[in-house]
Amino acid sequence: MILTVFAFVVQEASGGVLSQMKESAKHPDLSKFLVIGAILFIIGVAGVLTRRNIIVIFMSIELILNAANLNFIAFSRYLQETGNVNALAGQIFAVFVIVVAAAEAAIGLGIVIALYRNKETIWVDEIDLLKW
Amino acid sequence: MNLTGWEAVFFWVFAICAIFAGLLTVMARNAVHSALFLISSLVSVAALFILLHAEFIAGVQILVYVGGVMVLFLFVIMLVNVGAEERGRDEIFNHPRQVGASLIFCFLLVGGLLFAVNKGYQGLRTRDEAKLVQGAEDRINQEKSLSRSGTGTTKITVDTESVAQSLYRYASLPFEIASVLLLVAIIGSVMLARTLKQEVSADDVAPEELPEELRRHPEVGKVEVGT
Repeated sequence: MILTVFAFVVQEASGGVLSQMKESAKHPDLSKFLVIGAILFIIGVAGVLTRRNIIVIFMSIELILNAANLNFIAFSRYLQETGNVNALAGQIFAVFVIVVAAAEAAIGLGIVIALYRNKETIWVDEIDLLKW
Repeated sequence: MNLTGWEAVFFWVFAICAIFAGLLTVMARNAVHSALFLISSLVSVAALFILLHAEFIAGVQILVYVGGVMVLFLFVIMLVNVGAEERGRDEIFNHPRQVGASLIFCFLLVGGLLFAVNKGYQGLRTRDEAKLVQGAEDRINQEKSLSRSGTGTTKITVDTESVAQSLYRYASLPFEIASVLLLVAIIGSVMLARTLKQEVSADDVAPEELPEELRRHPEVGKVEVGT
């Protein structure tokens, strides 16, 4: 009998949580976008910290900047519904982030090419000229 | 800003696509595969931007990132990666100790960020519901009053127009600074990617280093003598 009560309680509890989760999955809101942005950011950080190929490291940086853009735009949309006067500032800032990312990619890849000419390698653990 | 119906379905599809493509970007052995997965991740995030009513940013994202930056990446991979590809079975990650330390750091970051999002969002939820409903109604009325486009199938939205107004009204100085930044980036990347031959022909090598450089790269000297 205890077992049946236990099973019933578990079922009730999980049913409640599950239906709540289902409801929130049907209506994604600001927090979902923030979580997606956070996950993309962390994937990018992991890529920067673990990979050896310098070009893949640059790509991971692009992923990080993109996650930041997602947060900016999610908050911009959130502010639009609260009737904020300058709610579009988030979108404007995202444009500037894209501009800076493009400039960073151009310079970074120029550095990669110069480095490859001099050191014949793109593995970051072999580029230790400044290490003492 | 709750999404409903098909919007929610598309949100989950594109969110999962973005995360998996991002993971594969980091995990792929071949840098070209990494670049292609990054492109699909960026396109998925652009779709999320469209779900957030930021059509202009989504367009910019696809044009600038996928059309410009990623093509640049692919070019550089093809310039640089030939030798690395031939080496084949090289380790793609750092030493295990470094990877372990950074993964521990990443998991701490995951925990911290999810905690922060959870806590912060609880604070954001305490807001004026009546105002939200009013805002949503205003938006629907605004969209109903929009004029038809040329083909008559869709309506011309004012989102891009308001982005432009906001950009030039509130951010015109940063806009100009961004143009200077892009100019610096163009000049810098051209300077950085020059070959020795181009540096010699532009007379941009220190005179005391020139004999040494020519000894290391004899083909440059030959070209110079020829011309």
